[in-house]
Amino acid sequence: MGRLADVAVAGVYQTQQGDLSDCRQPSVWWESVRGACADAGLSVGDIDGIIGDGPLDPGLRDRMPAPGIAEQLGHPLRFHARSAVGAGSTASGLNLAAYAVSHGLAEVVVIANAVAGRGGGYASADRDEAVAAMAKLSGPYEYVYGTTRVSDCAVMAMRHMHDYGTTAEHLAEIAVAQRHGATLHPLSVHGRRGELTIDQVVGSRLVADPLHLLDCCSINQGGGAIVVTSAAGAAAVGRHPTVVLLGYGEGHSHIDPNAVEKLTEFPAARLAADTAFGMAGVRRDEIDVAGIGDHFTIGVLMGLEDAGFCGKGEGGAFVSGGGTALGGRLPTNTSGGFLSFSHAGICGIFTLIEVVEQLRQEAGPRQVPAARLGFVSGVGGVQQAFSAAVLGRA
Amino acid sequence: MSDYQKFLPEGIPDSHLPFWDSLREHQARVQRCDDCRAYRYIPKDLCFRCHGDRATWTAVSGAGEVYTYTVVRRAPTPAYQADAPYVLAHVTMTEGFRMIARLTGAEPEAVRIGMPVVIAYEDVTPEWTLFTFRPAGAPGGPGLAQS
Repeated sequence: MGRLADVAVAGVYQTQQGDLSDCRQPSVWWESVRGACADAGLSVGDIDGIIGDGPLDPGLRDRMPAPGIAEQLGHPLRFHARSAVGAGSTASGLNLAAYAVSHGLAEVVVIANAVAGRGGGYASADRDEAVAAMAKLSGPYEYVYGTTRVSDCAVMAMRHMHDYGTTAEHLAEIAVAQRHGATLHPLSVHGRRGELTIDQVVGSRLVADPLHLLDCCSINQGGGAIVVTSAAGAAAVGRHPTVVLLGYGEGHSHIDPNAVEKLTEFPAARLAADTAFGMAGVRRDEIDVAGIGDHFTIGVLMGLEDAGFCGKGEGGAFVSGGGTALGGRLPTNTSGGFLSFSHAGICGIFTLIEVVEQLRQEAGPRQVPAARLGFVSGVGGVQQAFSAAVLGRA
Repeated sequence: MSDYQKFLPEGIPDSHLPFWDSLREHQARVQRCDDCRAYRYIPKDLCFRCHGDRATWTAVSGAGEVYTYTVVRRAPTPAYQADAPYVLAHVTMTEGFRMIARLTGAEPEAVRIGMPVVIAYEDVTPEWTLFTFRPAGAPGGPGLAQS
């Protein structure tokens, strides 16, 4: 039986992000997969395992995507699994891929995310339709009162401010830091809008107090994929420095927000991070670069606290003065995150790809010097489920 | 035929109906564990504290205090937007569990964490009753003494 660290992220790829309503989702899915294979020095014909969703196809085909993919590849796939941590499923998908490869169940496993076309619901390119669809994710005990995804997180920020003195300016630091990274990434959705200032963020209109418009991610479309192989295989191809999964953990705690003791502290996030760091044998202060689910700025602030990078209530001080910016104490979501890079579907894949590019030293103008160890925390739902990973350059 | 344009509960399992029936009767009842006596709001099969699987629908005081809140300015649909800005509150009830609803009868700027509130019922259609929180003792609200 192999170890996690014998497995590498061998290839990554991201498509154009933004409004892909003129594209077919299957085309974006295959573009992502083909691109990630090429980045790994492989071709789609080498794929023998799949994690997560495939090209959209009606009915049962969507629930069971591997046979349809195998049919197009012309050979059977040996593995398919699906994780269920919502937008944070990417790190958990990586763990499943690592399991498959380290156990000899598959050799080349792809994880892909693609959102495109004119379908409705929360994948819609129409913002009003997507907002209405997302509002109902909370369930009838909340949505009847007019909750939204923003309000679900705003109540957390409100209580965090009350308990710990966190301010709107603290939250704005996160948006400002991430926008800077986005300006340095040609595929980012919002980088072309230029830099932000703290005054601009706190001066943007309130969406759900205390969260301002620029504390929130927008909704867009896009694709991305990752290819996982054995570390030895990736090293033999030699196209990139080898990035391996050193540790992994999950935490799932509650589905109804009234059923968790506090809305400012999520022990399941701590559990996921502790498991990942323990497995990796890595300390928090050794991490060079982080990716933390950032549907809203408050998610990053609480995510840093809950993952143990600072104490509970110390997130405001941690992010102050560009704490999460390039050059700061812990560069986080350096391509812009969901806030400024892309918020499409299982968007945690973009978080993970950026950490991989950093550890490869291939992040160009965003490069964190000598980055060797990275941490990823994928957040599912509204702080309901977490998957955490520690990655390293071999 | 109702002209109510906001979201109504969908997909409510039969096992949850006693709660929604209790709203229609203007006396909220929630599950209370028969074994350890813990209250829980949204119905579940197991008690989170003792894992008991027996519970009794139990009337609640309707009184609590604001644990946290937000003011929604960008609402999910036009029907909700017509009410914006409106306050959503998570309220810790005197029985120790939290409930979520609108907080009405107070200006958004006047809402504070810790503020005492009471439940008021709102018959939105002949079939469905929802509830709001109102400041305790506010005019027009069902003060504690009346409940």
